[in-house]
Parts: sequence; structure tokens; C-alpha cells
Amino acid sequence: MTHALDVNERLAQLDESRPTVAPASRAKATTDRFATFAITFGVAFAILYTVFERLNWPLFTYHPAVGKVDFWMHSARSGEGPPMYWYGWLVLAGPAALVVGWAAILVPRERLQQATFFCCTLAILWPIALAAASLLTDQTTFNEQWTTFALWSGVPAVAGAVTLTYLAGARWAERMWTSWLLIMPIGGLVILAYSLKSYFLR
Amino acid sequence: MDALTDFLSGTMFWRILLYLHFLMAVALLAAVTLQAVTVLIPARQTTGNFIDRFHPVAPANLVPIVVWLYVPNFLLGAWVYTKYRTYVRIPMEQLGYWWTLGSFEFKEHIIAMGIALLPAYWYFWRQPLSKDHAAIRKWVTVFVAVAVWYSFLSGHVANNFRGVGS
Repeated sequence: MTHALDVNERLAQLDESRPTVAPASRAKATTDRFATFAITFGVAFAILYTVFERLNWPLFTYHPAVGKVDFWMHSARSGEGPPMYWYGWLVLAGPAALVVGWAAILVPRERLQQATFFCCTLAILWPIALAAASLLTDQTTFNEQWTTFALWSGVPAVAGAVTLTYLAGARWAERMWTSWLLIMPIGGLVILAYSLKSYFLR
Repeated sequence: MDALTDFLSGTMFWRILLYLHFLMAVALLAAVTLQAVTVLIPARQTTGNFIDRFHPVAPANLVPIVVWLYVPNFLLGAWVYTKYRTYVRIPMEQLGYWWTLGSFEFKEHIIAMGIALLPAYWYFWRQPLSKDHAAIRKWVTVFVAVAVWYSFLSGHVANNFRGVGS
């Protein structure tokens, strides 16, 4: 009887403590999830936006002179004025980064940090490999077979990213995690600025 | 929308939108500059010269202002951008204002990168401020400030080419 009373008392204490502890831990979990989402979203958006802009993959093309919208990429048509792709890149990159950010919440933190490290090093190495291919090849051949070069330069880039992720390990992936939030947008802007060089060299 | 354009001439309507965009940009510029200065030059003492004491607002208090000005101004700018593409950019190309044009093209990229950093920016400034995130908080704030400043200046140059008061 005494033992039963002790157990009941302890259960009652547990019940009393639950309302004060649970909201705090729930709030911390929500904050952690939001942090994971926000950091991953920022990194993913920078990479995806740069890729979509460079490949010119807008979700839609807007023709402001006639107020017309076309799905995917459409060149200017006679009598319809200039096309706008920026909205299409944003609308493709934004939701795609949202999905990546949401998926990141479901992955254990250590795995996520290593996956982020891999994706970011891949995003750095791939354009470098492509630029090296363009330097080592005749310009006309490179332009004609751009898709082939773009795909094949992915092979050393993936190999390099796998090697670096393995060598860096979990500790470096953790240390670098928030830094990608600046490295990726700045790197993306460098690539995008370089793509605009024709405006400044005329 | 039709009622508005019936009431105002088309040009007047776009000029009002552009002016609103400008006013919001000025307010955003003030908030983000104040915050960036505060994180780059932390308060060392309560007395001293003007620069030493130049911390009238706690930087964390500016976060909601920055976010609530950045997002609507981004949307407003995206709307006005349709008019820019037909009414401003084409004469710019015809007259060979390539530097102005290229600078404005870069604006669309930097401002997009900036808006994607806002959720993280918001998180890093949550109270209580984390010491672990002090460096990234500082540099994300500086990035947002640079994006806003660049956009303001390149937008202003484009406006001088063909916009309000040009």
C-alpha cells in the first residue's frame, strides 16, 4: 500500500512537472527546426537561383508589353516586345529551396551538415571544372558541345566533392555549416556578375 | 486596377508606384545602415566622441523593420520592373547606356540573394542573441545592407535615366 502510494505520488509529481518543461523543450525544438530550415533555404536558394539563371531555366516567361505568360523559356516573338525571365527564375528557385529547406528538417543534423558540405563544394567545383574545360578546348568546339562538356565536367567535380567531404569529416562540416550562408550567395553573385561582363566591356 | 488607371494617367500611376518604391527604399536604407554600423562598430563606451556613442537603437529592434520593409519593397520593385523592361530598358539599349543597364541587371540578382537570407537573418537576431552566431549574424547583416545600398544606388541611376523627375 505504501509502495503504491509512493508510485502515485511520483506520477503526480511527473504530471505537475510536465506542463512547465514540455513547452520550453517544444519551443527549443521549433527554434532548432526553424534554424535548420532558414540556413538550408538560404544556401539552397543561392545555388538554385544561380544555376537556373545560368542555364536560363525560368518556370515561366512574362511578356510585359502584351501581358502574356508562357510556361518555361520563350524567346522574344515579333510584335510581343521583350520577354522577362527573372520572375520565372525566382518562382522556380524559391519553392525549390523551400522544399529543400523543409526536407532538411527531416534529416539528422550531422547528416545534413555533411550533405550541405558536399553540395556546396560540388557547386564550387563544377563551374571550376567547366571553366578549365573551356580553357583547354577550342572555343568553337566548346560552344557547340556545351551540354556534353557541362555534363562531363560534373564527373571530376563530384569526385572532388566526395573526397573533400570525406576528408573534412563531421567536425569541419559542422564548423562550415553557417558559413555557407555567405559563401554561396557571394559565389553566386561573382558568377552572375561575370556573366554580365559583356555590358561593361562594350 | 482599371478604375485606378482611369483616374490617373498610365504614366502618373507608374510614377506614383516608383516614388512609393523610393520612399520605402529610403526608410529601409536608414534602418539597415544603422544596424550595419552598430554591428561593425560595437559600442565601446557610453561617453566619448559622437561615433563612440552612436548607438541610438538596439540593433535587434531594427530586425522586424528591415524585414517588413524589405519584403514589400521587393514586391513593389518587382511590379515596377515590368514597366522598366519596356519603357526604360529599351531606350537605354538604343542609346548605349550599357553600364547603367548592366548595373541594374546585377541589382535583380543581389536583391534576390538578399531576400533569401532574410529567414536566417531573422533567426540569428532572435533573443537571446547567441554568442556562437555572432560572426555570421554580423556578416549576414552586412550582406543585407550591401544588397540594399547597391539596389538603391543602381535604381536611383536608372531612375535618373528615365523616371520620376528625369
